[in-house]
This record gives sequence, structure tokens and C-alpha cells, in this order.
Amino acid sequence: MATTLDTHWDNTHEDPGKRAPLVLGGLDYAGVTDSVAGIWESRQPRTWWIVFVLAVIWLLILGGCIFHLFMKGVGVWGNCNPVFWAFDIVNFVFWVGIGHAGTLISAILFLFRQNWRTSINRAAEAMTIFAVICAGMFPGVHIGRIWVFYWLFPIPTEHLAMWPNFRSPLLWDVFAVGTYFTVSLLFWYMGMVPDLATLRDRAKTRVKKIVYGILSLGWTGSVRSWHRYEAAYTILAALSTPLVLSVHTIVSFDFAVSQLPGWHTTIFPPYFVAGAIFSGFAMVVTLLVPARTLYGLQNIITIRHLENMNKIIMATGLMVGMAYAIEFFIAWYGGVQAESFAFQNRAFGNYWWSYWIMVTCNVVIPQLFWIKWCRTTPWFMVIVSLFVNVGMWFERFVITVTSLSRDFVPSSWGFYWPTEVDIMMLIGSFGLFFTMFLLFCRFLPLIAISEVKNVLPRSEQH
Amino acid sequence: MHHSRPAQVTSPVFTLNRSYVAIVPMGLIVCAIGLGIALMVGVGVGGFRRFSMSYLTTFCFLLSISLGGLFFVLSQHLCRAGWSVSVRRIAEILAMCTFPLLLVFLPILLPLLMNSSAVYWWNEQGWAHDDRIQELKDAYLNKWFFAARVIFCFVCWGLMARFFLRNSLRQDETGDGSLSRKMQRHSTWMTILFAVTIAIAAFDLEMSLQPWWFSTMFPVYFFAGSFMGGLCTIMLIALLLQRSGRVTDEITVEHYHDLAKLTFGFIFFWGYIAFSQFMLIWYANIPEETFWFNYRINKEGWATVSLILVFGRLLIPFLGMMARTVRRSKTYLLFASIYLLVMHWVDHFWLVMPELNRGGHEFAFSLLIDVPLAIGLVGIFVTFFAMIARNRPLVPLKDPRLGEALNYHNP
Amino acid sequence: MAHSAKPGAVHNHPRNRLVGLMAQFDDPESLVAACEQARRAGYVKLDAHSPFPIHGIDPAIGIRRTRLPFLVLALALGACVFGLWLQYYTNAVDNTAIFPGYRFFISGKPNWSLPANIPVTFEIIVLTSAFTAFLGMWALNRLPRLANPLHRISRFRRATNDRFFLVIEQADEKFDLNRTQQQLEEWGATAIEQIIEDLADRELPRNLKLAGIVLALLLLVPPALIYRAMGTTSRYPRLHVVPDMDVQHKYKAQAIGPNLGDDKNPSYMYGDRRAARPPIPGTVARGQLELDTEYFRGYRESHPTGLFLPRGHAELVLASGTRPMPVLDSDWQDPGHDAPGTAQDASPADGTVVPAEKDWVQEFPSQITVDEALLKRGQQRFEIYCTACHGFDGNGNGLVNQRALALNAQLKAKWTAAKSLHDPTVKVQPIGRIFDTITNGRNTMGPYGRQIPVADRWAIVAYVRALQLTGIQPVVDAPATGPSATDGQPSAVE
Repeated sequence: MATTLDTHWDNTHEDPGKRAPLVLGGLDYAGVTDSVAGIWESRQPRTWWIVFVLAVIWLLILGGCIFHLFMKGVGVWGNCNPVFWAFDIVNFVFWVGIGHAGTLISAILFLFRQNWRTSINRAAEAMTIFAVICAGMFPGVHIGRIWVFYWLFPIPTEHLAMWPNFRSPLLWDVFAVGTYFTVSLLFWYMGMVPDLATLRDRAKTRVKKIVYGILSLGWTGSVRSWHRYEAAYTILAALSTPLVLSVHTIVSFDFAVSQLPGWHTTIFPPYFVAGAIFSGFAMVVTLLVPARTLYGLQNIITIRHLENMNKIIMATGLMVGMAYAIEFFIAWYGGVQAESFAFQNRAFGNYWWSYWIMVTCNVVIPQLFWIKWCRTTPWFMVIVSLFVNVGMWFERFVITVTSLSRDFVPSSWGFYWPTEVDIMMLIGSFGLFFTMFLLFCRFLPLIAISEVKNVLPRSEQH
Repeated sequence: MHHSRPAQVTSPVFTLNRSYVAIVPMGLIVCAIGLGIALMVGVGVGGFRRFSMSYLTTFCFLLSISLGGLFFVLSQHLCRAGWSVSVRRIAEILAMCTFPLLLVFLPILLPLLMNSSAVYWWNEQGWAHDDRIQELKDAYLNKWFFAARVIFCFVCWGLMARFFLRNSLRQDETGDGSLSRKMQRHSTWMTILFAVTIAIAAFDLEMSLQPWWFSTMFPVYFFAGSFMGGLCTIMLIALLLQRSGRVTDEITVEHYHDLAKLTFGFIFFWGYIAFSQFMLIWYANIPEETFWFNYRINKEGWATVSLILVFGRLLIPFLGMMARTVRRSKTYLLFASIYLLVMHWVDHFWLVMPELNRGGHEFAFSLLIDVPLAIGLVGIFVTFFAMIARNRPLVPLKDPRLGEALNYHNP
Repeated sequence: MAHSAKPGAVHNHPRNRLVGLMAQFDDPESLVAACEQARRAGYVKLDAHSPFPIHGIDPAIGIRRTRLPFLVLALALGACVFGLWLQYYTNAVDNTAIFPGYRFFISGKPNWSLPANIPVTFEIIVLTSAFTAFLGMWALNRLPRLANPLHRISRFRRATNDRFFLVIEQADEKFDLNRTQQQLEEWGATAIEQIIEDLADRELPRNLKLAGIVLALLLLVPPALIYRAMGTTSRYPRLHVVPDMDVQHKYKAQAIGPNLGDDKNPSYMYGDRRAARPPIPGTVARGQLELDTEYFRGYRESHPTGLFLPRGHAELVLASGTRPMPVLDSDWQDPGHDAPGTAQDASPADGTVVPAEKDWVQEFPSQITVDEALLKRGQQRFEIYCTACHGFDGNGNGLVNQRALALNAQLKAKWTAAKSLHDPTVKVQPIGRIFDTITNGRNTMGPYGRQIPVADRWAIVAYVRALQLTGIQPVVDAPATGPSATDGQPSAVE
């Protein structure tokens, strides 16, 4: 039935007259289904178990840290006067940023008709949701009086007789991150329903039949359903595109509406969004390169997919670099002394090392992707993507901590250093993230089966 | 299932051909009349300064739409796009117009070099009344460095546009796929060069009109408007060429639909950038920054222009371009592209003119100065376009992806 | 070759019903072709099933464009209005029905500032639209559906994998079991089966029903526990979550300073154990000499002396080095009552007029020009500092007061009701006295002198006077022939 194709076809090379195939190995419809559903049907490889146990251990450590925090108070962190916002906000922005790639891939690349997104969008969307959960945790435990967290929402109560202040950027954050999480979840779930139906139809045990039967909502693949489904998908994509811009924009407003030197700069919104996409794609590469090897998905997530992601990493990395340059230029050109001092302090002040880690990881190292070998060699791109992850974490550290520790008056300067709890909570959040991601790999379709089938060349079937 | 069309150009005439002979003098005559009226009234009413500022408004408008065309070419090669091949030649010619625009800039640049501070008042000695600021700003805002930067930008744009137009025209003869790959390869670093140069241009041409003010967002704002302006111009030229029968089947309703979708996206993107810039400055309320918005929003007259931008440039077109049916209607798009270009001009008017006298502006004379000037400069711009287009094909005849462009259907 | 169905085999069973015929195709192109044929043959009630959306099948099977986008647009516009209304209602309106707004100046922005309301409005629009698109899509598709006879056919499982199916319903007018089957074979079906519905499938399985009930009951447990905890008292000390919010490691200005030694050998930085130093006797801080008592204190000092100590400092000077802490209470003493315990208790609560042992000023000091700008300023400051307790119209029923009285009623707090400014005892007070109250507080009201600059305090006084003369009817009996000033103009204040 399936025509044979050379598995080692280099689909990163494209003849302008003919598009290179996106799925290799001569996979047909059933072949795609088998490759993806096979992950779910067979036992997990040993590597999965090892990573899972490690992730759960860190998750437990995170739980312990949070318990410790609640029992002792925020004094267990290194936050001090004047650095009231430290690791918690850095981690929050870091994780929210990572959560941008999924919706970018599923919405913006969809609207731009980038068909290669079909192989990676599912895992990226899952990653988005887990990253936003990790992100939401940090401000969640930092609000102080955690038992009245619901004051964040405009809930009408006679008891409270009070409403949130809608003029505060922190409240915009609640709405932005909340909306983003909800809409991403809807989008992810809706995209998954046809694939859950595939799993339902392949389920062997009764429990699986019932669970996946409920989850797939009775989907039959009727073309009438598909028609409305595609309309809803397009609408959700069109909504998610400005939404994904708005989320990091509003996160950037948290900083930029203030008057603190180094925070108040108008380029923050697009610069934060570019940085978010940059870090998000790096995380997708970090996760999917091992996953495709572990589950033998090299024919669906091909080198071409990885190369495209690396190109986006390079492009957004350059945008971020450009924003660094413009910030520096305007800090000098504007002639505001506090502002130019803030930027000198970033590069040569007491946190100089964090600034240079940031520049090296975000601007210098991704330039390796100009070399084709670097952007098409899986193990190498993972290393680069890890550097990008580190660099983007430090970007948030630089913005938050260096600016807060040195503001207008030398008498209000201070120095921040994280405590063990700070550091363990950061690592612990990775435990939470990986636990959820590994469970996702185990129980849900890792790749959008029906969407990949749609980009298979028609002529290859029969 | 649609039947695929062969990748061949079927239009009977696909060049400007003889009408080129008519367009060039017509453009020049319009230019002469427009400039003549504006010069007489403008210098009479508000002096050379009034005239020059108005001139700069339209110059920036024309420059931005040509840069939009250049970015369109760059981005389509960068993404190996197939759908846009049919309209890419128009963008290539539009991009090429950047270079002759340097000539149009000379009436601003030459007086500046002769120590005039009519437009850029940082050219006046000791304007800052503060030694520290004066020394700092002089390092960047001095006439020779300014001229060097502007000429550098124009040379970069001209060379980039020439590179794409030449290779694309060469491909018309040979159909060589390696030329596509060559353009793709070079579009990468050229996009970076484009980003740097457009940032310099935005800072120098428009932001430095008010040398005290600064905003890191400004280049992005300039770019967002430029790309929308470029898309509208491409759409408008394509529609006009099709109406006059120069190009027939090569540009289909699908291309207009796609261009309209991109335009729609960039209407919103402009709004996003404009709002973010305003909101951050309004919220922080720092005197160093707020004053720039203050006279644009609170001064009588300019308050109306600001509202026109909010509604006319963002909200109305946003709702108007939302429906699929209007994005596929050629009649509607003809109106929309002209309307949006006018709004884009108003945007530059709003950026440049309030600096004339910190918001003091006699709108009554706008009809006699700003409008004839705009029409006149558009006339010379059309002349440039026609001279570059000459008898060159208006569609890339043998682009390997032409077939893809002709056969694409929006779902 | 098509597998032929066996007509009349199963659907004779009373519980079963023939729904239609299902034909299998091996590739999307033949499915589209078959759909076109079926439409041409006059079938209307037909559906196709495929593992992925097939472009070009919609016209073939006769699907019209869905109305979903219009539904989403309509709700999005509604959400826009709702979002703006929500923010207007909660942050810019006061004293509305059911739930009061929260109209207080915060972050120096007007209560209704549109730029600051755009982000939340945008998010509400997106959230509503996304839910409309998501839920609307399922509703229009009539999903989720409990049971579908197609799932009884094992062959149909490939509809989510690699096969394509065309279903023609029995309900169609043109349907005829044998003829339709023949036609389907002609159109290239590789297999044809009857779709038989087991009517028992329409009911929810018992186990599932039971599980649902149990789940619903379990979900009720947490709210029930919370509700129970709200109504009970406990003998155990309160559990402090995030305790450093409650007990903060800092030294307040007039509290005992840090013990630098240990419990046995306490060692304090200063002899009197205070955390901070009192002013040095005989000195006045720069800019605080304030000899013009009419302006700075609201009363005339008949014999201004050369040495003048700011209010309260005299006591501190006396206390320095001799008396241990705390001495704070005296710090809040009313300067109108120099001798402790004299008129302090003669508060206006019992309706008596405060004895004017101080020579309170009756007219605004010369530094203050009473005009509209001053009243505007006064109103703004009043609404920032005073309305929380005294209410926007000064009737003493601000939000804090309402909430505190409610707690009072439940014996959860002690609260003296905020004074109505329309109370006769307040109305007869000289303006200097009102100024003094704002500056130094009275009874349970704290002093605002440190927070509000002098000029602003006078502006508030002017506004309070305007309120008393013009504003809301007093809660207590209004004098029928009271000052009937009709506008809050400065003349009325004079």
C-alpha cells in the first residue's frame, strides 16, 4: 500500500520547484497512527522511568519547600529590601515565557500556513500548559495571605464589600495569565479530541475504553463535525494570536509602567514577546529531540522540523539582541542619568556576571545556527537550546534584580542573594514540569495524528 | 478538489509598456503643480519651516511604504513563500523606489548641511541650554553624522532592492531555481541589516524632530505602520494593474485575500504597538516622556487627529476587514487600500507636524499646503515607480514557485 | 470487492432499529467522488466520516458555511461591553444596588481611566470568544453524544485511522436498502454494512450513573467542611500561615529596640530601650518651627513664646531617660487639652458642644484662598483619606464603617461608629476645630497630620464645610431653616 521512500532523505534541502516532504519513511495514514498510538500502547522505555522518578523526587522537594514557606513565611527566601521581587517573579516570567511557544506554533504558524507545525504542535501545546501551571505557582505562593487568594478575582461578596483595582498591572496579569491558561487548555483539548477518538478505537481494556470514550466526546470524524471543528480551530487560532502577544505584553507592563530605571522602557512589550518565543522554542527543542529518539519518531519529527525551530530560535534571538542594543542606545541618548547608570550597572555593576551570561547565551551562542551542521545535528542543538534556556532565565534575573537593587538613591541600594529554598524551588518547578510532561507522553497522543495525516502528500497513498 | 493550473503567465500584456510614456510626464506635472501651490502658500504662511515639515511628512510616508515593499520581499524569501510570487514583482519595484527617494530628501538634507535648523532644531547651536545634555546629544545629533547615517541607510536599501530585482528579472529569462535559493540565502542577513537601518531611520528622521524625547518602541512603531502601508500599496497597484488589463489571471482573489489578511493583522499589530507605547508613557507619567503625547492629545486640533487615528486607523478598519467576504471583494479592497494609505499618511502627519510649534498648528492651511504637497510628492513617486517598472514584466515569469502561487486556494 | 451486507439479519430484533447503510472507501478521493454521486442521486440525509478533514468535500456533500463565526462575533461584542461595564461598575461607581462599587483613588489614576482598562477588557473578550467557539462548536455538532450505533461496527474503528466512510440514513426519502446498497457498490465502496441501533444504548450505563452521583457528592465535601469551619470556634491558638506576615521583624518608631544581648543579659542600644531617639530637648527640626499657629494648628496662641515645642514633644522631653516605654498614648493627646483628663471625655458623642477652651479660628487663615480650585482639591483629598469611614457624602457610613459595624454586631470587632459630618455637634464646630480633628484625630479616629500637608488639610476643611452646608441631608434631624445655601460656592463657606 505505501510506496517506499528513502528513510535517509535529506528533507532540509528544498528544490524551489518542489516542496520537500514533511513526513519521511514512507509512512501512510495507518503508519502515522501506529507510530503515535504505539507509544501509548507499549510499555514505557526504561529512560522514561528513570527521568520520571527523578522528576517526582524534585516535585516532592518542591512540595516540601512550599510547606516550609507556608509555615515560616517568605523570610525563607532571599528577598530583601529593596529587592522585594526576586526569584519568584524571575521564575514566573521565565515559565510564562516558555509557555508561549505552544500557542505560537498552534495558532500563529497555523495562520501563516506553516504545515510543519503539525508534527510538533501537540507536544508544544502540552508544554505550554504545564509551563503556565509552573508559572502561576510562583506568584500564587508569593501573595502573602494565600488563604484569601480569591480576592484576586472580581467576585461579588457582601462579606468583602471590595473589588480588585482594575487599574493595576498586577491584576491585568491575573486576567492575562488566567485567560491564556484557559484558552490554551481549550485549544489543546479541542485539537486532541479526534486523536483521543483514535486511541478510544484502539483501546484494548475496558477502563481505557471508558476513559478515552468519555474524553473523546463521541467523536466519529463526521465531515459535518470536521467543518465546524475547522471553523472553531481557525477562530481559536485567530483569538490566540493576539492573546499570546498580550500575555507577555502584560507581564512586561508589570515592569514597564513603573518608573524604575531599567524597567520603564517602551520597547518591553514586543521585546518580552520575542524573548518568550525564543525561550519557548528552545524548550520545545530540549524536550522533543530526546522524545523523538526515545519513541522512534524521527520520521514524523524530522530534521527539517528541528531545523525550522532552530531558525526561529535564531531569528527571535536576534530580535532580543536588537532590543538589548536599542535599550542601551536610548539609555545613553535619552540623557537621563539614572537610566544610563542602570544600564552601566547591568553590564559592569555587582551583577555583571549575570548580564554577560545572558548576552552570551541569548545573543552569541545561537549564532552557531548560521552553520547548517549546527542546526541539523540533534545532540548539538539540544546543547544550544539549553544555553538559551539558561540565558533567558538570566535575562529575567538581570531585569528584575539588578534594577531593583540599584535605583535612584544610593541610600536605598541593596544586594540580593538567593537562599537554598529559592534555588530548590526553582529546580523543584522543573520537577513539576517534567512530571506532567512525562505523564502526558505516557497517556495522551504526543503528536497530532489527524493533522499530520493532512499534510501527507496525497499521491503517496496508493 | 481543484484542478491545477500550469505555471504559465497568460496575460496578453504583462508590462506597463506604452502607458509608461504617459505616466512619467503626468506624475511630473502633478508634482510640479502640487509643490508649486504648497511652496507659494507654505512659505507665505508659515515660512520655510512650515513648508519643510509638511514636506518631511509626505517624504516619510513614501519612504515607509517603499520600506514596507522591501520588507515584503525580504520576508517572502526568508519564509520560502509560494503564495506571494504573483505579487512579489510589484513589491520588488516598490522597494527599488527607496533609492531615488534620496533625491527627494535633498531639500531637507542640503539646508541642514548649510546649518539650517528649520526642520531639525537640534542643528541650532546650544539648543539644550544644558552643557551635559548638549555635549551628549551633539555626539549623535550633528549634521555630518546625521547625513552619513541617512545616506548609509539609503545605500543599503537601494543595494538590497537592486539585488532582489536583478536576480528576479534574471530568473524571468532562465527560470533558474538556484537564483531563488541565492535570494533566500541572502535574505537572512539582509533582514538584519533592514532592521538596523529602519531603526536608525525612525530615530533620525522622525524621533529626532523632538531631540528631548525618546522611546525605545519608536522603530517598531515606524516598522508596523510601514509594513501595513507597503501591503496596501502592493494591493492597490495590483488592483490598478488588473483593472487596466496589464495583468489578468496571474493575480487571483486568493492573493488579495491573503494580502488583506496580512493587512488586517498589521492593522492590529500597529494598534498594539501604538497602544503599548502610549500606555507605558501615560501610566508612568514621567515628564521627560509625557510631554510628547501631551500636546498631541490635549492640544485642540491634534486631539481630533489623535481620535481620528484611534478610530480611523485602528478600530474601524479592524472591524471592517474582519469578514471573509470583504477580504475577497476587489471593489472593497480598492477602497480599503486607498483609505488605509490616507490613514497611514495621517499617522505620519501626527508624528511630524506637532513638532512644528509644540502642537500649535494652523489646520486651516492644511488644505493648501499639506494636501497639495502630499499629492505632488505622490506624483513623483508614481513617476519613479513607472520608470523602474518600464517594460519589465510585472509578474515573475519563471519563478519555480509560480505554479504554487497560481494554484493556492484559501480554505 | 465489496463485502455485501446481509439484509434483514439483525434489525428484526424488537430492540434494534436500522439506521442506515455505511460504505467504506480506501482513500479520500474516492470518498469525495462517492459523495458527489450520492448528492447527484438525490440523497440528502448523508454523512461522511474521515480520519482528518478533507478539503473539497464540503461542497460535494452539501455543507453550508457554519454560522459559528457570527455567534462568536456577537458574544465578543457583548463581552467588550460587559468588560468595560464591569470595570466601570466596580472601580468608578459608588453606592450602587446590591454590591457597592469601590470608588477610591488608587495609584494616582482617575477612577475611570480607559487606557488602564483596555488590557482586562481585551482578555475578557478573548476568554468569552474562546468559550463560545469551543462550546458552540460542540453544541452545533450535537456532541458529546452518549452512544452512536456506528461505534457498534468494528470496521468503523478505522474511521479514526485510515479508512473513509459514507453513511446514508434510512430516514432519507430516496433510501431503499437494496437499491442504495447497489449504488454504493457502483460508486466504489470496498465494504458495505448496515448500521443497527440497539435502543438500549440510548440509556446511560448504571455504573456510570452511580459513579457520577458519587463524584458529585464527593465534590460537596470540601465546601461543606469549609462552611462548618466558618461557624465554629476553637480553643487552640490560631495557626499562622506565612507567619512573617503577622509578626514582622522590624522595629516601630516608639517601641522597645532590639535586644542585642540575650535573655539573661539584655543589652539595648539606648538606655531607655527605645528603638528610636526622641528629639533633643530645646531643638526644633528644620521647617517645623510653625509659629503661625492659626495656619498650622487652627487656633490662636495668645502668648507665643520664643521657645516652642511641637505638639507632644514636651512630654517626650520629660520622659526621656526616666520613664520606660511605652509612652505612646500621650503622644496622641489632643493639644486642645493640655491638662490630662480634662475635656478629653467631653466628646461630641453626648451631643454637647466641645468647650472652646482653645481659641479656634473661625475663618480661613490668610494663606488659604477659598475658591473652586480649593474645594475641588478638598474633595479629591477627602475622597482619598476620609470617605473610607465617613462616606462620600460625609454621613459617616463609608465602606469601612459598614463592614466594621457588621463585625461589631457579630462581636468580632470593637468599633465606634464613624461620625456623621452632618451631626449638629459637628456642624457648629469652628473650622479650626475641624482642622485640629483632621490633624490630631479624635477618639478612635487616628491623626492625619503626618499624611496630609497643611494646605490640603485646610482644603478638606473647606470641603467638609461645603458638604455640611449643601450636601446630603443629615442623618439626624435637619434644622428646617438651616443654612439654605444652594451651591457649594466659596461665599457659602464664608
